[in-house]
Amino acid sequence: MTRRRTGSWLTLGLLAVAVAVPVAAVAWRAVHPDGTLGPDAVTRVLSSARTWRLLGVTVAQAAVSTAVTVLVGLPVAWVLGTFRFRGRRLVRALALVPFVLPSVVLATAVAAVLGPTGPVDLRGTWWAVIIAHLSFNLAVVVLVVGGAVAARTRSLDDAGRLLGVGPLHALWRVTVPAVAPAIASAAAVVFLFCLTSFGVVVILGGGTVTTLEVEIWIRATRQYDLSGAAVLAMVQIVAVVAALGVHARVARHTGAAAGVAARRRPTVTSERVAVGLASGVVALVAGVPLAAVAVRSLHIGPALTFANWTRLGSVTQGTGLAISPAQVAVTSLVTASIATVFAVAIAVPTAALVAHRPGGVAERISLLPIAVSAITIGFGLVLVAGRPPVDLRGSWWLIPAAQALVAVPLVVRVVAPALRAVPRAAVDTAAMLGASPRARWWRVELPAVRGAVGGGAALAFVASLGEFGATVFLARPERTTLPVAIEQLMSRPGPAGFGQAMALSCVLVVVCGAVLVAIDTVAERRGGRAGAGARGTMAAWTSSPT
Amino acid sequence: MRSHPMSRRSTRRVIAAGAALAVALLAAACSGGDQQAATGATNSTGEPSSANEVVLVTYDAFALPESAAEAFRAQTGATIRVVTSGDAGAMLTKALLSPGAPEGDVLFGVDNTLATRVTAEELLEPFTPPNAGVVPDADRPGGELDELLTPIDTAAVCVNADVGALAARGLQPPATLADLADPRYRDLLVVPSPVTSSPGLAFLVGTVARSGDDWPAYWESLRANGVRVRPSWDDAYQTDYSASGGDRPLVVSYATSPPAEVLFSEGALSEPKSVVVEDTCVRQVEYAGVLRGAPHPDLARQLVEFMLGPEWQAALPLSNFVDPVVPGTPQPPEFATWAARPAAPLDLPVDRIGAERDQWIEQWRSIME
Repeated sequence: MTRRRTGSWLTLGLLAVAVAVPVAAVAWRAVHPDGTLGPDAVTRVLSSARTWRLLGVTVAQAAVSTAVTVLVGLPVAWVLGTFRFRGRRLVRALALVPFVLPSVVLATAVAAVLGPTGPVDLRGTWWAVIIAHLSFNLAVVVLVVGGAVAARTRSLDDAGRLLGVGPLHALWRVTVPAVAPAIASAAAVVFLFCLTSFGVVVILGGGTVTTLEVEIWIRATRQYDLSGAAVLAMVQIVAVVAALGVHARVARHTGAAAGVAARRRPTVTSERVAVGLASGVVALVAGVPLAAVAVRSLHIGPALTFANWTRLGSVTQGTGLAISPAQVAVTSLVTASIATVFAVAIAVPTAALVAHRPGGVAERISLLPIAVSAITIGFGLVLVAGRPPVDLRGSWWLIPAAQALVAVPLVVRVVAPALRAVPRAAVDTAAMLGASPRARWWRVELPAVRGAVGGGAALAFVASLGEFGATVFLARPERTTLPVAIEQLMSRPGPAGFGQAMALSCVLVVVCGAVLVAIDTVAERRGGRAGAGARGTMAAWTSSPT
Repeated sequence: MRSHPMSRRSTRRVIAAGAALAVALLAAACSGGDQQAATGATNSTGEPSSANEVVLVTYDAFALPESAAEAFRAQTGATIRVVTSGDAGAMLTKALLSPGAPEGDVLFGVDNTLATRVTAEELLEPFTPPNAGVVPDADRPGGELDELLTPIDTAAVCVNADVGALAARGLQPPATLADLADPRYRDLLVVPSPVTSSPGLAFLVGTVARSGDDWPAYWESLRANGVRVRPSWDDAYQTDYSASGGDRPLVVSYATSPPAEVLFSEGALSEPKSVVVEDTCVRQVEYAGVLRGAPHPDLARQLVEFMLGPEWQAALPLSNFVDPVVPGTPQPPEFATWAARPAAPLDLPVDRIGAERDQWIEQWRSIME
């Protein structure tokens, strides 16, 4: 036992150091702007009215995005949690897909509808950003609130009706209070996501709307104001930690939704209309952007063509890419695979510690990468990687390590509950039969949670594949990844780059969708083991903002 | 033992996972191989390694003059590979974030508005090509920068006016910088942002050169007059400028944009739609330098020297729409006919720009954003 835990603590220590090093580098840059220790950069940034306006705007857009997402998501969650109807699985799956897509891909999809070539051009407005946030986060509300709706006991509804309460009244007096904690929890998660949203704002903001996260990036990579960016990154950490604190408070009141789903067919006309409306909303918010990406990938300007696809194998002039999109895809897949190995290697031992004592130090450390945004990790790694004593910038493992860091909390969230659910009796029996702690871990506990580990690994893969904030700082032109390449293509006007961005986005949609389907299929075959499967995995993801 | 078959199954899984990883790594190795085949120049880690290649780190819009690159290969046996990352400012910042471990050998495209930044982090290796004497003194950056940066070309950032689109509104092209703030030209101008675009920064420098300490007031008046700011020159010129299909007939671009319009129209235009507002022109000089830690330092120096040579200089106008820095280099006829030749473009000394640039940008942002 001790031996195993020593190894786990070492892994956890590694995780803590991996987060602390970039943060320390950023903090050092903030107080040490021009080779001398001093508060100049801090006072310059903090005394600027623009900084506080930016913080206000960032918080406000997150609040508005959250409100819109909850308002649109609640009826959808209610319908999906309450009713059984033809196409329910499809609608639910469609609502979940945007959430597993890389933010850059989702933003590109929204830009296909609301960009310069779409029916309405909203690029460069908050509307586009808020709509993308809605599309992305609808899944959170559907999963968290929908789960609670489905789990509420149906007898409560029936009792209400028996006592003569109308269905709407019952909804208001019975269902809403029952799921209120879930709504609060979902809202807190959505708010956190929107607070640190980066890819969406970079692609849809068009340089005119920015948030704190984007401002850090612009200062660090465009304005060469590293100390200013560093101070803003510190502000961002404080803001995120505050939001995490709120989230923890809210989430504490939410028990795990563990009831048996009791869905019924819609009986009255109003219920059928509700089902139709909810399905329509999902189609509009999630289906239209995805369809638009596919359609736009088959066009250059107004002309129908396969050129965007056939040109993926070569370097096209004027797209700004140093290697062909196909090579970018291969690099991306390899990088994400390595990142997955790293993430699982760190997360599983960490999860063992978290499972042993939920809410303890281990759990807090495992959540550190969430409190520090991906941008800060990438920026910090750039600051530290090129300095003596070791020059790491050319290292093959630097980008995978950064991506793994971002993915670790997800994997921990999936694996730890599964480990907690391993029957104590099995472990104790093994101990009685003389199995050493090491043997118990490898032969009893780990095999029992292999479904969850597989799900966590798949999540880590999807998250690494789509990782943008940290990778954009570290990627080099000849070894760039798909999200970075897509952003590069989208930032250039002109139909060639736009078409290729659409085609590459399609590739990522298919890959991420395939991974999700694979998790789901494996889970079905296993019969819903704890923590395994798309539902458990997604539930863990939605309750753990990244 | 019940755990036995389970552990065997998990062993198989480990093997399967290992095999998957091996396939992935193999794919990586193959992709490295493809790259090698494609460029003849990279090893499996993707880093430049071949002695027969020199890597030119520059901005996205740069177009390699093919004939000159061929001449360089004939002379040295090395091919030139171009690596771009964003506009000049983004490219320079990226290089500054990894000083000593550059993405290539030669840095090209830093201009007089950004030049002083290269002194940070010892980004460049001191190098003055033996043929540097051909460069006019006025085009040199001055001071310690002379040892780091070699001027290659000059340009002028100027407001372009779409004559037809203005005429349709009953307007003549503006005559002066001050005219842009005139209510007659309300909501007609689009400029690239000085934060993320080098022509945008040059234009800002020009307004400081013209208005001195009162430049913020000028920008206040531009703002009141409905100026639109776009993140890059591409966005402003290719998307928003009316001659490219946008809705704004005035744009900050280059003195050489009118001939470029004709040449890129592939015969559709016999003369440009745009004229240059000469009073708004700001001088720009672009430099090249050898990156510290360059994998091919010798070839890097040869390339910088070659960029001042007759082949490269003569190829510059039609490949990149800039003026060669070496006096007497023959000019294409399109330039003589349509490019503006501002007699006295707005300009400020490189060291003054270096000392105040960051403050100007901050102040500009607080006015405009």
